[in-house]
Order: sequence, then structure tokens, then C-alpha cells
Amino acid sequence: MNSDFLSLIKESEALNSDVFSLIRLLLLSSIANVGKDGVTYRELKAALGVSDGALFTNLSFLEKTGYVTSKEITLEGKNLKSYQITQEGLLAWERISNWLKKFVECGGKNNESG
Amino acid sequence: MNLDKVVACLKEISFKPKINEFQDRLIIQKVVYLLQRKGIDSNFEYNLHVRGPYSPDLTKEVYDHKSAVERLETSSKLNNSESKKVEEFKELFSELKPSILEVAATYSYFAFGQNQDVITALQNVKRMKSFYSEAQIAVGVSKAKEFLFRPSKKELTDLKEELRPWQEASAKSMRG
Repeated sequence: MNSDFLSLIKESEALNSDVFSLIRLLLLSSIANVGKDGVTYRELKAALGVSDGALFTNLSFLEKTGYVTSKEITLEGKNLKSYQITQEGLLAWERISNWLKKFVECGGKNNESG
Repeated sequence: MNLDKVVACLKEISFKPKINEFQDRLIIQKVVYLLQRKGIDSNFEYNLHVRGPYSPDLTKEVYDHKSAVERLETSSKLNNSESKKVEEFKELFSELKPSILEVAATYSYFAFGQNQDVITALQNVKRMKSFYSEAQIAVGVSKAKEFLFRPSKKELTDLKEELRPWQEASAKSMRG
């Protein structure tokens, strides 16, 4: 086991482990990627192919955590709910994605040496 | 990245956006994508996001130069060929309906950007834009095809061959 791995473990202590479920990571990444523009509930549902129950619960979790905010928008006369990333959410997503990259790289190194 | 050219295109299609409006930002994203596919390159990189083809850099630029975009201020002038392409766009997408633009841009991404066959591209559009009706999808796809389809040499030859009997019949009837 190399020191990179140990520092990874140390770094992981700063991450919000509640976000580490596939759907929450997908939501955080999808909403972060469109920045200020935000993304509608129906777009998330269609693109991620998740049920209303799962989507609503996990979006509510991300809102409560302060990582996303929601607002009503109008599109072609329809009122829709749109989700935007917050500064806190963006920082959390950057921290998580950087950590995941290091984690994958570290796994590769360990496999080569082992 | 050339926001000036984007603004010149918006000016040509007489679209004066309000940047704080979600709908207007969506229209800008899709108009620029479709025009880039047509060959009016304003150098914004697009990738497939949850909203279809999308350029985060374009959003950033639009916000950073909000008042210039809203007032359609630009130092860029489209050349003749670009103006013709924008004119064609204007004729096809005259209403600038977000639903039609979204479908057209998403279909273009799969069919012309990723070179997917017609059926696969259509299936992917239906999956990503499942909240739109069959009719909205059909209109968007057909407009994308009309705007961007460029027949290959073989397709042109086949088409001429297919039309030959009609043309001969028409010529014959004209001769009396």
C-alpha cells in the first residue's frame, strides 16, 4: 500500500459521504454541468431515466443539503421547476470528482505494482 | 470563441433576448448549435449534456456580456454565404419555438454530429426528449433534416434516377 492511498483515505474524510449514491452523483454532476442555466425536472427525469419517487427524494436531499436550489420558470407558457447548482454544491462536486479521479488513478498504480 | 458572431446571427434573425429568461437562453444555445452545424462557426464547443447539446462556455460568455447581447451590439458582420444560411434558418425556424429547436438540435447532434443512422438518432431523441409529443418530435426532426441534410453523390445520382421517368413524362407532355 503506497502513501498516495493513505492520503486518499485522509482526503476522503472531508467528503460528504451522503452524496455517494449513483443517483445523487448523477444529479449533482448533471446540474453542475449546466451551471447558471439550470435544468428542469422533466429533463433530469428523461435523461437519467429515473422514477419520479427517486428523483423527487434525491433532489429534495440535495436541496436540503444546500447543494442545489430550485425555482419556477416558464417555457412555452408552461410553468416548470428548474434546478441550479449553488456555490457550495459546485465546490462539493469539484471536491468529489477530483477525489474520484485520484481514487481511480491510485487503483491503477496499485494494480501495476501488485 | 466568437460571441460577436453569435450576436450578429441573433441580429440577423431579429431575436432580442432577455438573458435572465430561461427560455431565451435556451433559444440562444440551440440557435448557435444549429448554425454551427450549418457551417457558421462561432467556435463554441458543444457536448451532450442532460439538456441535449450544450455549451457551458456560451452561457458564461452570454452572462459576462449580458447588456451587449441584449442590445444586439456587435462589430461582426456576416458574409454573404453566412447570411444565406441564417436566412434559411429563419425561414425554417421562424417562430423560434424552444421545443422545436431543442428537438432539432438534439437530433442534429446524434444524426449529423455522431453520424448515427436515422433510426438510432430518432430513438435517442425520443429518450432524451420524452416529455415532448410525437408531433413536436416529428416537426423538430424534419426541420433539422431539411436544414442540415446534404445528399452524397450516390444519393444525388439515385434521386436523379428516381425522378428520370417523371421528368421524361413531363418533357413528353410539353412537346405535345
